Amino acid sequence: MRNDELTEILDRSFSVEPDFRLPVDFAQKVTTSILRRERWKTDLQDYFFLTAILVGLIAVASGTYYLVDKELLIRALNFFESNWLPVSFLVFILNFVLFADKVLLRLLFSRWKID
Amino acid sequence: MNDTELISQILDGNMNAFTFLVNRYQKLVVHISGRLIQRQDELEDVCQEVFIKVYQNLGKYRNECKLSTWIATIAYNSSVNYLRKFRKFDEVNPDDSIALRNLADFRAENYETTDLKHYIREQIELLPIQYRTVVTLFHLEEFSYQEVEQITGMAEGTVKSYLFRAKALLREKLKHIVDENSLKLVKEISNEK
Repeated sequence: MRNDELTEILDRSFSVEPDFRLPVDFAQKVTTSILRRERWKTDLQDYFFLTAILVGLIAVASGTYYLVDKELLIRALNFFESNWLPVSFLVFILNFVLFADKVLLRLLFSRWKID
Repeated sequence: MNDTELISQILDGNMNAFTFLVNRYQKLVVHISGRLIQRQDELEDVCQEVFIKVYQNLGKYRNECKLSTWIATIAYNSSVNYLRKFRKFDEVNPDDSIALRNLADFRAENYETTDLKHYIREQIELLPIQYRTVVTLFHLEEFSYQEVEQITGMAEGTVKSYLFRAKALLREKLKHIVDENSLKLVKEISNEK
């Protein structure tokens, strides 16, 4: 075989596609994976947004009661102060339920669905 | 749809456009990552990471190069990082004598003429990683020297040298079927090193 013939064969072989393959639905899989990642972020944003709204509503209600019925607000604050442990626990549980509902369970379900 | 329109659609939140982009460029990514990683079972994960990075950084793409060059750069860097993580990437200048030993000997009696191409394709996979990379980018994906330089960060001269040496190594293994002139050429290259 001549040298230029071999060079031509080498050049042509270099241009042949290697035998590596991706699944037929690869593009769809990537898109789904990205949507899942992006959705997790959106869910987390929603959770923080809702938490902020709830905190805001409580603040507005407290402010209103401060003007309307100061005594009731002081009694409520005293109650929270003397029962800070169960109140904190209750707030934590409620917050966790909201977090699980808005973020955690959605994330787990979407992972489970993909797996 | 051209790349600019495609990018603007994706940035507007059209995920179908992104699926279209993945379909358009998945061959490019699979060729680059496949040649570097050489493991079919790990390839899908690496390619997926490449396209996730493409999606996350698409807003930063500034049309300074072709989209294919930009995606190829991400594919090359992701694959190299993956190999580094598992300590499989040798950054030093490849040693041709070791590379030559790694290649299987060509035995003319075992190969029909048509099998020669198959043999060469098998040996390409056994070349040092830098050689495989530049061969894939230059010959298979038809990037220019400047683009290969941009993708890999190797100097243009190095790219040319690797291409030349890759070809010389394969010629050496095929010495039984080539004439004396090419043998001299291989010896000259070996002496240059």
